[in-house]
Amino acid sequence: MDLKTIMAAGLSVSEKFNISFTVILTGFVVVFTVLILLILIIAAYGKIVSSAQNKSKAKKEAKAAAEKAAKATEKSAPAPAPVQKVAPSNGLTDEIVAVIAAAVDSTYGVGNAKIKSIKKSPSSGRPAWGQVGVIDNTRPF
Amino acid sequence: MGIIDGFLEGIIGLVESSGFVSLGWQNYVMVAVSFVLFYLAIAKEYEPLILLPLAFGMLLVNLCPSIMGAPSTEFVLQSEYLKTHDVATQSVQYATTVMNGEVYYNVPTYGGLLYYLYQGVKMGIYPPLIFLGIGAMTDFGPLIANPKSFILGAAAQLGIFFTFFGAIFLGFTQAQAGSIGIIGGADGPTAIFVTSKLAPDLLGPIAVAAYSYMALVPIIQPPIMKALTTKKERAIKMSQLRPVSKLEKIIFPIVVIVLVALLLPDAAPLVGMLMLGNLMKESGVVDRIAKTAQNELMNIVTIFLGVTVGATATGTVFLQLNTLKIILLGLIAFCLGTAAGVLFGKLMCVLTKGKVNPLIGSAGVSAVPMAARVSQKVGQQENPTNYLLMHAMGPNVAGVIGSAVAAGVLLSVIPH
Repeated sequence: MDLKTIMAAGLSVSEKFNISFTVILTGFVVVFTVLILLILIIAAYGKIVSSAQNKSKAKKEAKAAAEKAAKATEKSAPAPAPVQKVAPSNGLTDEIVAVIAAAVDSTYGVGNAKIKSIKKSPSSGRPAWGQVGVIDNTRPF
Repeated sequence: MGIIDGFLEGIIGLVESSGFVSLGWQNYVMVAVSFVLFYLAIAKEYEPLILLPLAFGMLLVNLCPSIMGAPSTEFVLQSEYLKTHDVATQSVQYATTVMNGEVYYNVPTYGGLLYYLYQGVKMGIYPPLIFLGIGAMTDFGPLIANPKSFILGAAAQLGIFFTFFGAIFLGFTQAQAGSIGIIGGADGPTAIFVTSKLAPDLLGPIAVAAYSYMALVPIIQPPIMKALTTKKERAIKMSQLRPVSKLEKIIFPIVVIVLVALLLPDAAPLVGMLMLGNLMKESGVVDRIAKTAQNELMNIVTIFLGVTVGATATGTVFLQLNTLKIILLGLIAFCLGTAAGVLFGKLMCVLTKGKVNPLIGSAGVSAVPMAARVSQKVGQQENPTNYLLMHAMGPNVAGVIGSAVAAGVLLSVIPH
């Protein structure tokens, strides 16, 4: 940096250092202070609002459960036993196999593909339809 | 002969007032620059909504500089005026000035079209109106769900202040250095707002630099993000954000504006409009005006802002060494902001024992939603099943608030 350039704005080097560090320090401190205050306030009201909403939700649920129990005791006749479906050990029912086979046929054309085995892929923690939605929405990037 | 003379006079007058005679070489260079911007906007689709009107304003002002001309007062000799206008002395409404014993009418001449439209930029009206629209389109849910994102939004503003240092030592004044630094916020309306107040003479180069870098986010950011993070860090999966209730979303804009306006009144026009737009959206009771703010109003203001900011880039103003310095310093500001965001992301990653992916830090530079998309894309390159988009939206929208706060700091500490 030549002196000519530095003097162009009419300030000495030490003045330039002073001004720069004042702005940098003020900027850092104010921006971080304002945003940290916002973090604290938002975290606090987030907790207050969600706990208040959870309480009212719990109350509603308790009321609904009590009403349901009262109705159940009124009914004397026992409800018919639900039909139980026994799922195979690998978690695949015939219906699921049929749906997968139909999807494969629809994609590759009837008779063009053969299903040898069906294995569950490792889950990413999201339901399959949610996963499809995310892939669909983020595909352009 | 009278007809021929009149004809020739008319033709000579037309030629003399035409661009071929009155324009300098700088204007033609700027016309070429506007063609490059047209190419980037139309063929490459780089921020076309703003770049296209901006390039057109640049083209227009360099072909016809009077379109940006300010109104003025012309002194016309009273006797001359009355000769050419068939009016009585009493019916003329102009004020008079007496010079050397002669009476002159003060005849006002009107400014060019873009001069009047430019007043919205000069008076700081358009950028807050754009923020109103942005507020009405933004979902602050990811930020409310993870308020720690504000730290990343603040960290990414550090580039602004470091660049101020560089600009001062490159010979710019304090006000100019502040305006150049704000390019690092990667927020076009904020950059224009600050520059219109601190250094209106640099508006053209700063706006062009700010919008160009915003458009180049997908090219500039990934190498910095990759250089500052390890493969393992980039592959970190973040846990799903908690759902945010409607009540929380309604309270958010009110809390933010109360705090910001009290602490930093200079940031109130930008943050205030941003939060008003957001409250209109989240309250759900004023759908009609929320939609107007998001669409019609935003579009109209974008046209005016783009054309008039482009019209500040006249050849003589733009084609200077300072423009190159501004473009270079803007790039440095932008890179430093990205780097600071990623480094704070790394710090948060360490403090949370690996729960935060540092890539979301780069989204703190605003440039909504492109910077968040870049975080998502770079994260997915390491792990295709990783979805950082919503996590990155937190710092991204925090960056909008952060850059407005940084703008408020610059406006309050720099004398102007």
